Amino acid sequence: MENAIEVTELVKTYPGDIQAVRGISFAVEPGEVFGLLGPNGAGKSTTVGMLTTTIVPSSGHARLAGYDIAAEPLAARSVSSVVFQEAVVDRSLTGRRHLELHARLWGVEGNEAATRGAELAASLGITELLDRPLETYSGGERRRLEIARALVSHPRVLFLDEPTVGLDPRIRAELLDVIAGLRDRTATTILLTTHYLDEAERLCDRLAIIHEGRIVALDTPRALRKDLGERLLELRVRDDASVALAVLRNNGLAGADAFTVGATVTVPLHDRATSDAVGEVERAGVRTASITTREPTLDDVYLQLTGGQLRAAA
Amino acid sequence: MTAITPELVRPLPVLARNPFGPLATLVRRRLQLSARTPRELVVPLLTPILFALIIAPALKEALHTSTAYEAFVATGTIGLLIPLNTMFAGIGVLVDRESGARRELLAAPIPRSMLVFANLVVAFAITALQIGVLIGVARARGIHFDTTVWRIDWFLAAASLFTIGMYGAAETLAARVPRTEEYIGRVPAIAIVPWFLAGSLFPITALPSFLTWFARILPLTHALALTRYGLLDDSSGLRDIWRMHDTTAMASLSLLVVLVFAAALTAVAIRIFGRTAVQ
Repeated sequence: MENAIEVTELVKTYPGDIQAVRGISFAVEPGEVFGLLGPNGAGKSTTVGMLTTTIVPSSGHARLAGYDIAAEPLAARSVSSVVFQEAVVDRSLTGRRHLELHARLWGVEGNEAATRGAELAASLGITELLDRPLETYSGGERRRLEIARALVSHPRVLFLDEPTVGLDPRIRAELLDVIAGLRDRTATTILLTTHYLDEAERLCDRLAIIHEGRIVALDTPRALRKDLGERLLELRVRDDASVALAVLRNNGLAGADAFTVGATVTVPLHDRATSDAVGEVERAGVRTASITTREPTLDDVYLQLTGGQLRAAA
Repeated sequence: MTAITPELVRPLPVLARNPFGPLATLVRRRLQLSARTPRELVVPLLTPILFALIIAPALKEALHTSTAYEAFVATGTIGLLIPLNTMFAGIGVLVDRESGARRELLAAPIPRSMLVFANLVVAFAITALQIGVLIGVARARGIHFDTTVWRIDWFLAAASLFTIGMYGAAETLAARVPRTEEYIGRVPAIAIVPWFLAGSLFPITALPSFLTWFARILPLTHALALTRYGLLDDSSGLRDIWRMHDTTAMASLSLLVVLVFAAALTAVAIRIFGRTAVQ
């Protein structure tokens, strides 16, 4: 089956030799929800910009539903829609007008567009809002309208660029339900960018962790977590965390996948028993404020791969 | 809850089905946005109407000039109305970029030049309406226009092409400047300064000789000379530019200047929009 998205060695270098994306490659199957996970400035939105042909790549190739974004940009755009990170709306126009506008530009016939718009508005709970100008919408209502707008044209590929950023927790939770509903009810391929790990874990079939313009890991959330084993030992140390980590490594207690964030040293236990590990830490002379064990999360995967920038960004 | 299903067959790009549908959609959108922004319709009219209705009669009274001077100034104010209105229309481009739906339009399966053309169509229509209002008000004030079906074509062609060219300048400037404040700061230099040099209030031969030469290369000078030829049967402006006797030849040459101006600035606007919009 043809991939819905194929990206090969895509590069974007902005003026001033700012390398936003440094040769990323991935493929997304039809119907898959694929996440690009990374902190602000990692290159996620630039990647979406290139795939939606609103940013010109410096080099590399990409195809949407088989259409090359550089050679066949109109065809590539005709099979995709995007919900941008920031509000991209005409504030004085109504929600209904936004749906009509998108439908007409993407070539959806009038009756079909009206029916489709009404279905989507009902699905997303915005039917009562449609005849109000966008300037009267709340952030969450506007986001739902933007998602409805993107779906009016039956896209084969839907880009959601940080769809919940800036929303309050309640609206964010509602919107995640909406996106999860899309995933369950449509066969549209979704590429979602986010720096919220819970969001990525809940919504995505597979994830690419992107760091400083490069993909540093790509797999299912479960497989990514599995690399860190079943349990982690988390030490809050009283001395320099990097010195403590070096001591643990010298004593064979920590491997290459152990990492530090601030005063915390995180050590994947793999096959080692927790009680043995705690005893060995104490015998190695590492001064700790607390020692805990827990299951790995995507946070740990990301922090281990990127050195802790995601937590700071979020 | 309603099930949502995607298209199973690869759709054709929308342009293959109906090339004019998207343009009409974009024009309608711009009209709706303009209708919700009364300043775009009213503000550019204020200064020209002030000139045509108040300043020109006052000058006639104070300087004991003839009624022909009122007509001279009334037609001259068209040369202020067009640049002001098209430059104001350019603000809409900046609003689209800074807080509007431009990225959605850039992601649409349409050629990006269509966005420029749609804005141009609306700017053109609003300018035509405003010129109609200005001429109507001037006539109501008692200003006499002397035209024929044949000669008015020179005015219509010149005004149309000059509007297209000025909109190209507005779109280009909007693409090049980063902020609305900078755009607005440059409007007087582009829309108003040439008006004082292009024979709008007095013949260009009244200027110092080096400025007369400068005026001859301004597209606005040619557009105004054609406007007066078309609306007042006054070919003196054309003679001041070309120093020839054949009025039709002079009008044709001036129209060619305005045509080149329109074509060049439209091409530049489309090129610069296409390049800057996707960086």
